[in-house]
Amino acid sequence: MRRPTVLACAFVLVGALALTPAAWPEPAANKRVLVVYATGRLLPAIVAFDKGFRGLLGERPNGDVEIYDEFLDAARFSGPEYDRAVADHLRQKYSSLPPDVVVVVAREALRFAVRQQHLLPAGTPVVHAVVGTDDLAELGPMPPGFVGVPTVDEFKRTIEQALRWHPQARRLVVVLGVGTGRDRAWRAKVMAEKVAFEPRLTVDVLEGLTTEEATARLAVLGPDTIVFSPGYELDTVGHFDAPFARIRTMASRTQVPFYVPLTTPLGTGVVGGYAADFEVQGHEAARVVTQLLDGVAPPALEMPALVPAPMHVDWRQLRRFRIDERSLPPGAVVHFREPSIWEDHRNAIISAVTLVLLQAGLIAGLLVERRRRHEAETAAAHSRAELAHASRLAVAGELAAALAHEINQPLGAILSNADTAEMILDSDVDRRDLLRTIVADIRRDDVRASEVIRRLRTLLQKHDVERAPFSLDEAAIDVELVLRPEARRRGVSLTVQPSGTQAMLLGDRIQVQQVLINLVLNAMDAVADVPEPRRVVSVAVHQTPDQCTVRVIDRGHGIAPEDRSKVFESFFTTKRSGMGLGLSIARTIVDAHGGSIHAEAGAVHGSEFIVTLPTRASDAPRMAVPA
Amino acid sequence: MNTPTPMVLVVEDDEPLRTALLRLLEVAGYDVRGYASTGDFLLERPDDRHGCVLIDVQLPGPSGLDLQAALQRLAIDLPVIVMTGRPDVASSVRALKAGAVDFLTKPIEREQLLAAVRSALDRDAARRLAAEEARTLLARFGLLSDVERRVFDGIVAGRLNKQIADDLSIAERTVKLHRSRLMVKLEVESAAELGRLAERLQRVHAT
Repeated sequence: MRRPTVLACAFVLVGALALTPAAWPEPAANKRVLVVYATGRLLPAIVAFDKGFRGLLGERPNGDVEIYDEFLDAARFSGPEYDRAVADHLRQKYSSLPPDVVVVVAREALRFAVRQQHLLPAGTPVVHAVVGTDDLAELGPMPPGFVGVPTVDEFKRTIEQALRWHPQARRLVVVLGVGTGRDRAWRAKVMAEKVAFEPRLTVDVLEGLTTEEATARLAVLGPDTIVFSPGYELDTVGHFDAPFARIRTMASRTQVPFYVPLTTPLGTGVVGGYAADFEVQGHEAARVVTQLLDGVAPPALEMPALVPAPMHVDWRQLRRFRIDERSLPPGAVVHFREPSIWEDHRNAIISAVTLVLLQAGLIAGLLVERRRRHEAETAAAHSRAELAHASRLAVAGELAAALAHEINQPLGAILSNADTAEMILDSDVDRRDLLRTIVADIRRDDVRASEVIRRLRTLLQKHDVERAPFSLDEAAIDVELVLRPEARRRGVSLTVQPSGTQAMLLGDRIQVQQVLINLVLNAMDAVADVPEPRRVVSVAVHQTPDQCTVRVIDRGHGIAPEDRSKVFESFFTTKRSGMGLGLSIARTIVDAHGGSIHAEAGAVHGSEFIVTLPTRASDAPRMAVPA
Repeated sequence: MNTPTPMVLVVEDDEPLRTALLRLLEVAGYDVRGYASTGDFLLERPDDRHGCVLIDVQLPGPSGLDLQAALQRLAIDLPVIVMTGRPDVASSVRALKAGAVDFLTKPIEREQLLAAVRSALDRDAARRLAAEEARTLLARFGLLSDVERRVFDGIVAGRLNKQIADDLSIAERTVKLHRSRLMVKLEVESAAELGRLAERLQRVHAT
């Protein structure tokens, strides 16, 4: 006890500093509690009791209690001589430090105290603990100053509960001892209570055996048997041991349910039973001691009638014998419950689940977003295709005159040739060679006309946007074929300079051609009013390994610098007729192909439109397979 | 006119169509010649022969209508038939105003084509005949002396011999002599015939 010393030093120090030495009270003397145990020390029951007892007394303010422990070891040593010797020893031992309260733990300690009470200083209260109501009845009325909260040995309730859980049981095996006083008291109680069960099942009593023999007998018990034992201290060969140790040995090999009216064997393989927990008993005793130390007179103490003795069970044994946890009696205490993963890691699980849910939500959100975007992109691509088609229709309308002329020419030739042939046939002159030439020419002109129609159809066709590899050179040459009649009609010289390489683009050939057509038509519009030598439009394709460029060059009026960025906007036009959509559609298409389009001023006159598109040489083979 | 076979010239840039047209006209019995452009035609400047020209309106470079105008300017009097693949009012009016004989829309039916060619050749023949007559007339007129021309003018103006004699300060008898001489030179036999001839001369001079 260092604290009083420290406090005293503190007092002196404070007093010296304050120069008021007389103002401090004397520290109160410590209370002494003597605890006398019937057993030896370090038994699980004692450790549990001590924990409950000291736990509560230690909470007292000032820490003013000193606890002294004594052990009678009554199972091994007993008899009036021994009692007297111990009593003398204790009287002498504690004569200089007389206890304020004496606590006696278990039946033999109470019996000792009752017999030796005359040796105690007058008025010293005695608190008994771990004493059954049966023990109290046997010891007779308590002397004055003897108080305590008794327990009940719930043998019968334990067996009844066992039978509720094992209704199929046909045999009850009870293991008892007869060596010590305590053994005999418990035996008598069991023998008296077992009678109540005998109509229901066979009750076999194992006694007078060594623990090894009893264990061997228990190990071979068949089904529909249950075992009950309060344990015992002394076996037939004169070996002492604590009851819980006996039960531990026996339970370790027993294959049938094993019930005990004690808490200490829990965990050794027993199912459990009704019992007062030793820690709770220590706690109850400490509550009584506290009141006594605080000056409460024994008759005025507030005490419960009994220490609660709920059902204690080993959760693992419930599982082992398939006992439904929901059938536990109210207030039952379940030991060794393996916390479920949920109980063990509740926060981690909640965090993880929350995280997963958030993540799932996020993923779902992203998927929805992606789907929406995909739909929007599809819709955009669709409307782009619609717009592009509408624009192609407009272009086709613009080119219709030129294309009609282009078809009309071969039709005219065919008609004239046919007329000529008819005239030859009517004239009786043999001109077979000429007829043959005529037929060949008719065939050629027919092919020529249908070729024009094919190209026109490409423009008019409404098609889904494709992504397929195609040659920009070929596309440009096709564009030239479509636009040449129009160029001729307008008196514009149109030249197309292919790159001469094999590089492929990935995308929609018709839409890319449409871009070129729009640009060339614009260029032809641009040169409409300039002198004839300048009515020149040229298209040049250049290809580098990773991109290709088409330049559409005219020598017309050019674009005003302030308009150069606006020309790609929708509905921007400087022409008298025209919607101002051609370049806007061109840019939309080029963007969709991952390319770019811009306008520059021409070298001397006019302007240059430059379309850059990425080549997908590496993708081409992959794309070529589905195509 | 039983003289040489009429010549039909075709100016059409589209080679297959040109060939087909030339072939048809050739089988129909005409001498033919084809040109791809206005320039080709003008460079060759065909000899003055009985015939007509078939011109396509849509030609590369100067158009068919330009060629028509050039022919007029150069006083090449070949009758012109205009062809077009795309009839529009403006160019057809322009072509006809400029004296085109016909305006054909491609594809051209044989009967239509041959009828147009025939009518163009007829017109060419008529023109050639009129030009021949005018040439004869002018040649005869050229035989008249100054006095005879003045007497001729007086007769055509409807003046009497006496009045003409007064105008020219010569004797009425001398007027009568000049009158009979110029009628012989102009190969007319009556005053009425002389009047008609004067009208024709006036027309020739007017052109």
